[in-house]
Amino acid sequence: MLLLGIFALLAGNTYSQTKVSGVVKSNSGELLPGVNVLVKGTYTGVITDLNGKYIIAVPGTQSILVFSFIGFESQEIAVNGKSVIDVTMSESSIAIDEVVVTALGISREKKSLGYSVAEVKGEAIQKVAQENVLNSLAGKVAGVSINSTSGAGSSVSMVIRGASSLTSDNQPLFVVDGIPMINTLNNVQQMGSDNRADFGNAISDLNAEDIESISILKGPSAAALYGSRAGNGVVLITTKTGSKKKGLGITFTTNTVVENPYKYLEKHNLMANGNRPYTQDNRPNNGLDYIVIDPTVSGWVGPELDKGMLAYQWPYFNADGVLTATPLVSHPDNWKNFFETGYTTTNNIALADATEKVDYRLSFSNMLNKGVIPNSDLHKNSLSLSSTLRLNKNIKVSTSFNFITSGAVNRPAENRGANPVQALYETNPHIDILSLKDYWEKGKEGIQQNGPYQLKINPDGTYSSGGFMDNPYFLANEVNNGFKRDRIYGTAKLDWQINSELSFMARYNHDQFNEFRDTKIAQSYTQERKGFYGLTNLYRREQNADFLLAYNKRVGDFNLSASAGGNYLYRYASDNTTKAKDKGSGLIVPGIYSVSNIALSNIQYYSSLSQKAIYSVYALASLGYKDAVYLDLTARNDLSSTLPKENRSYFYPSASLSLLLNNMLEMGDKVSLAKLRGGIAMVGNDTDPYKLMPTMGDYGSWGNQTRLTTSGTLLLPDLKPEIQTSWEIGTDLAFFKNRLRFEGTYYSSKNENQILNIGLPPSSGSGAKQINAGLISSKGIELTIGGTPVRTNDLNWDVNFVYSRNRTRIEELSEGFNYIALWTDAKGGAVTWVGEEIGQIIDKKMLRVEDKSSPYYGWPIIDNEGWDNSDSKWQDADGKRVAPVIGNFNPDFTLGMQTSLSYKKWTLSASLDWRKGGQFVSQTLRYGESDLHTQRWIDRTVKVNGIADIPAYLKANADKYLSPDGEFFVVVGGPTQETGGLEYTEDGITLHDGVFMPGVVGNYDENGKFIAEYENLGGPGQPLIRYQDFYGWDYTRTATFDADYVKLREISITYQLPSLKSIGIQNASFSIYSRNLILWTKAGIGIDPEMAFQPESGKQGSGIQFKQGIERFNVSPWTIPVGFKLNISF
Amino acid sequence: MKTLYKLFLVLTMVAFASCKDLTDLNVNPNGVDPSTVNPNLLVTTVITQTAQPYLDMGYQGDLAGVMQYVQKSGWGSGLNNYEFISERSWAGPYNNLRNVKHLYERSVAEGMEFQQGLALVLRAFNFGFITDCWGDAPYSAALNAPDGGQGDIFPVFDSQENIYKGIIEELKMANTMLSKPADAYSGINADADIIYKGSPLKWRKMANSLMLRYYMRVSSKLTSYAKAGIEEIIANPDTYPIFESNDDDATMGYIGTYNGDSWPANTKNDYDATNTSFSRIQLCAGFRDVLLDLNDPRIAVWFNKAKVPIKVSTKYDPEADITVGGVRYLHPDSMVVKNYVVYNKDTWPAALKAGNTLVDTLDYAGIPIASNAGEPYTYNLNPAPVQGGYNVHISALADLYKNATGVLQRARLISYAEVCFILAEAAKNGWSVGSQQSWYENGVEASLETWGVGDSYGAYIANSGVAYDGTLEQIMVQKWIANWTVAVESWCDWRRTGLPSLTIGPRGRRDAMPLRFRYDATERERNKTNYNSAISKLVQTAFTAQDGNDSSWSKFWLLQ
Repeated sequence: MLLLGIFALLAGNTYSQTKVSGVVKSNSGELLPGVNVLVKGTYTGVITDLNGKYIIAVPGTQSILVFSFIGFESQEIAVNGKSVIDVTMSESSIAIDEVVVTALGISREKKSLGYSVAEVKGEAIQKVAQENVLNSLAGKVAGVSINSTSGAGSSVSMVIRGASSLTSDNQPLFVVDGIPMINTLNNVQQMGSDNRADFGNAISDLNAEDIESISILKGPSAAALYGSRAGNGVVLITTKTGSKKKGLGITFTTNTVVENPYKYLEKHNLMANGNRPYTQDNRPNNGLDYIVIDPTVSGWVGPELDKGMLAYQWPYFNADGVLTATPLVSHPDNWKNFFETGYTTTNNIALADATEKVDYRLSFSNMLNKGVIPNSDLHKNSLSLSSTLRLNKNIKVSTSFNFITSGAVNRPAENRGANPVQALYETNPHIDILSLKDYWEKGKEGIQQNGPYQLKINPDGTYSSGGFMDNPYFLANEVNNGFKRDRIYGTAKLDWQINSELSFMARYNHDQFNEFRDTKIAQSYTQERKGFYGLTNLYRREQNADFLLAYNKRVGDFNLSASAGGNYLYRYASDNTTKAKDKGSGLIVPGIYSVSNIALSNIQYYSSLSQKAIYSVYALASLGYKDAVYLDLTARNDLSSTLPKENRSYFYPSASLSLLLNNMLEMGDKVSLAKLRGGIAMVGNDTDPYKLMPTMGDYGSWGNQTRLTTSGTLLLPDLKPEIQTSWEIGTDLAFFKNRLRFEGTYYSSKNENQILNIGLPPSSGSGAKQINAGLISSKGIELTIGGTPVRTNDLNWDVNFVYSRNRTRIEELSEGFNYIALWTDAKGGAVTWVGEEIGQIIDKKMLRVEDKSSPYYGWPIIDNEGWDNSDSKWQDADGKRVAPVIGNFNPDFTLGMQTSLSYKKWTLSASLDWRKGGQFVSQTLRYGESDLHTQRWIDRTVKVNGIADIPAYLKANADKYLSPDGEFFVVVGGPTQETGGLEYTEDGITLHDGVFMPGVVGNYDENGKFIAEYENLGGPGQPLIRYQDFYGWDYTRTATFDADYVKLREISITYQLPSLKSIGIQNASFSIYSRNLILWTKAGIGIDPEMAFQPESGKQGSGIQFKQGIERFNVSPWTIPVGFKLNISF
Repeated sequence: MKTLYKLFLVLTMVAFASCKDLTDLNVNPNGVDPSTVNPNLLVTTVITQTAQPYLDMGYQGDLAGVMQYVQKSGWGSGLNNYEFISERSWAGPYNNLRNVKHLYERSVAEGMEFQQGLALVLRAFNFGFITDCWGDAPYSAALNAPDGGQGDIFPVFDSQENIYKGIIEELKMANTMLSKPADAYSGINADADIIYKGSPLKWRKMANSLMLRYYMRVSSKLTSYAKAGIEEIIANPDTYPIFESNDDDATMGYIGTYNGDSWPANTKNDYDATNTSFSRIQLCAGFRDVLLDLNDPRIAVWFNKAKVPIKVSTKYDPEADITVGGVRYLHPDSMVVKNYVVYNKDTWPAALKAGNTLVDTLDYAGIPIASNAGEPYTYNLNPAPVQGGYNVHISALADLYKNATGVLQRARLISYAEVCFILAEAAKNGWSVGSQQSWYENGVEASLETWGVGDSYGAYIANSGVAYDGTLEQIMVQKWIANWTVAVESWCDWRRTGLPSLTIGPRGRRDAMPLRFRYDATERERNKTNYNSAISKLVQTAFTAQDGNDSSWSKFWLLQ
């Protein structure tokens, strides 16, 4: 716009000499509007009109015209007396003169920027359909980490340059065509006892097919102008418009991906459930002819399967209703049989047109998804219209409207409780999952679920109702967490080119949605026996009004642009919930899901609303010198309603510098670009509404009596804004006409005055205190290396590597506080002490002999019953950490690779991700293995079959079995004789299921010195413990795994169909693709480490509803997705 | 330029004129301002926050197990085996005390003396619970976090002695504050007071009865103080009215609409259809032995008989083990072969140590304490041994406890029966409070009436072992029985007097009953300096083992 104005003006002022005219086309024959045509060595220039035409006055016949356009190679053509010059411009392979969208939507030449901005083109994210567009960015941008918290439809986390705040979700600000979008990572809701569903981020409303490009402003430098919310970076999304091409164009895209599960969680098929592997002859007397397999025993160490043993087992009774014993056999295909083939189909049609006065684009998209878990789905329809109206040469009005409806009949529950995957994982190996598929008890449809856990055979052969666990099919089909979200967002914008140097923009943005969630739980869910109904209405609205006045001037070798503007932001949110009480009296009539079907005494309702406003003014200036030096300065001042009056206004500046060495020094042909850049910036951050003064909380009524409670968290009435200060330096290099490219950035940021809740001793009367203290620092490196090893007319090969590494530390906290806990669970937690790294996972210490002079130094201390002992203290009396650090949920680094190989009309593209380092805790395995579900646990015990002198063997391998540096939690023995179990007798029954932990038994003397009594190495008379009972439940380490993986994020083969212009088709392509294929994990346990997120109904210490680096039953099978895409333009 | 400047100015002004006042915008519309809240809206909160956890601990918590009322058939190592190794959170009582403090402050501001008195009584009760269980604890400096100083955030611990003295003084203040006739108070909401329906006199009686409790608590350390205190109360019934009948008992009933307002581990609203929370709670052999010895009618109120009792018999010779007609018969010969030994209340620990399996052949079969390391659900030859499952050979709780609410299902804070036994003990000490025998007999009768078996008082009091013989043991045994569901109080009495004398099994975490709770882990981590100073005053015992001073087997002031 600015350029348009300048050139129009300059052209008008130039006295006429010779006129040259012509038409500019692309090499594919498209007419190109907006091409800059400049007389070399002057400031005289024009741009081409919508038909690609230009007329320019040149000072002399020997003048040279320079034609330049974004995305095309510039050309210089001598006039040589010609009056008509038609030009064909070829698309540049890699745009050095790339223009990127920066803060406030201002387009800038990338080379002029002193900070790192990453741009991803629309095509790159449209190749492979993802139901949430964020997933398409994974691995493609240095410094950006994208994590799906679970399967399709779940929230997707995007964190740029590591977490800067300890109490917010650290999600960047998303701005679509200037409209800030409402989005959060916190979309988990618990409705009904232990039924938590993730309803997905609102950003998934974006339609990938509408996206033209995505700019990611990573550091605060880049984002300084977006203010408070930009501390975590900004994602600027530009959508397609109709302006590109004159005339009506229609594009149709259809896209279907089918997901076939292929890898499941490992579990053994050796034994039925039970406490010991009894046999027909060797079992407790139950007064019956055969053993009863009691489904309520969670351990999988019961009678051996596939050995011909008979038992009374589900379904217990034969067709005549007689209790009948049947052979115990395994059903190894239970998982395979349970999961279904998933699919996602997306269809999009877009219509675009441009005339002299108006251009518009209308797009409609429909998405349908069916998950691999039965009865899980997602659907979305979106309609968008964007248009630009040119009122006259200088005034343009642009609008966009977007209507999106999205929803699901059922988002399957996660974590534990109503999660069907948990129930599946707990379905015993002797039960055929297909026998559970008819999940209603005959004659009690809608009333009582059916399954092994619903029936209990008493020792006298009678039976009673059970209900210890749920049928996975029942959970999948009868616990329904549905939602419907209707969203409208749009903008109206006025651009006025006042004169050649001044322009003005004013805009109003609006984004709002209504999300209606309803949860229906049928009768007989074990945690809501009488059914449940609950509904929630969320309403969110954000309005922004802003204006910007821009001034542009070129004087000699200097080019100055300066802008100033203001923004008014207002946010409104309301939540209303009406539901039955958890574990209450349920529904009056089964199967009727209506509020009026809940007894009055059993209804709970809540409502809340919140408002927030921020007023801002800002200014920026950019000074360029000779296309070689660029200096940018910005300043912004915010006033936030969430802060106290005296601290409400906060100012923050930024500065950045870009030096184009290749334009300053003669570097020869081989160097296409040599740029050094650096920037320093501050960003202030406010907080959520109502954080200054506490209010009384509702403690839930007691009968008719209202109960209020004071807040357990002390608030800080004089809260100050958080201030993040960062600097970055980097270089961008390109060689051999861009065929080798490199970008490197080092950044460092410090986040001061963190607004965080810090735990207080309970005796102070408050559980936590909000503080405005501390210093969190992050440092990181981002590298991108790209190349085009082969480029010929027919063959082109591009490859690009993206490396990111980030470390975040706590440098300071408040006086008297040594650590911050992001979460605690599984006996450990993500707890960081001052000076240590964020994301580290701590555990309990196993008690071992610490006296170095003892012959038992390092041995576990075992009590006289044979059990190990742990120390649950986190820190010593001086506040120093004593709990061992067993990992960190953040990676050491990530490396992404994208490659594209095209040959004639064929293109093969792939995107590969490698995560190196980091750990995660699998509560699925922790729960599963404590109940001995896996072959892995059987395999990891020390087998001493055939070893005569077990103590000698263990001592000979003391480094491995008796040392803190050896294996952790050593168990000798196994569940059966073949698997290494030791002979063990209990209640008169002898089996081979004894185990023990090697160590030393003793006592402490009065000085705290350990005095050994005897070695517990399986010697005669030493206590054995049933295999069933000995699991390292007290230690997080037992279920902590390396998170390294290699994933094939995307692979696609595209074929450009031959010209079909005879039937009106301009362009058509067909592709086949796959995505998110996990190729390798270091842990090798069939769990995707990327999904180590445990959703919770409440916010954790980290400010999000997820515990990161830990998962619980977030274990969908690995799938091989196969997708097809057809794209046709008319 | 001038026009532009004007434009800019106008736009800025328009923008800001349409703006809302930022301060008003940040006023939370969703909740009541604590500085103006009606005190009555906190009354029900603090009562339920006090009574619910107290009942829970006394009915199915660890102390109910330690004091041998019940055992659990699964996940009950704290109850069954003295697994008191972990720290115990005291966030519950302190959070409640924060609300109590706010109630007090708001009542002072509003001039509502009834609520002030009520707050003082509950403050004393909760601090009493804290020091009873943990020992030294923040008291005078506690609950001041809003004041913001380092000493407020990290409060010092007061000595147990000073806490008991302090709460007695607070109860005296409550006694005075509640001494006016009911109509002299303003702002009483009888419905919010779910213990006494807004009766100042009853709260006053509770305050004075609690004073008796805490005087007796410190009687072995501060004998003359306790004696003087108790005698003064009894000598001045007009100044210090105390409980006079069961009608005065401080108890709270339940609503029963959902888990949060229902009797714990009920089978009506509790989440699991299988009743595992309910059937997990089982009779403890120790309690059973005493109740059966005394032919106590209350056992049938509280427990069901085992569904399938075990009998040793040759009736079905040669069957070694057979269940016929709802009875399981074991042949005596097979008992010998399998090392089965019939439970005997005196010799069972030795039998266990010798490697025998115990068989309980009584109709009220119970699990002996510390009798099993990891699998209490296997006890008594359970044919379907499932963690937490129902055991047909063990007595379960009476069916009344399946209900979510009921007349007998009340959270009991302090009862008339307890007061009687305190005074019986005081009289036995030779203090001038009346006749030890009549207080003892009043206590027994009151408790029988409480449980709906008052009719059997005549027969019961005549039973050998019940008929008063002037021993402290008898008083403490009857107090222990009467304090069913009030196990905290029984634990305090046992630690003080060693009564009732309880037999424990060999499979406990330590070979002795725990004496206190380990300090809250958060307190230890956050309030290090004061914590370290407090634990230095604890005295280790032979059972402290590797725990260090802050052990559940260390002795606090009261026991030193």
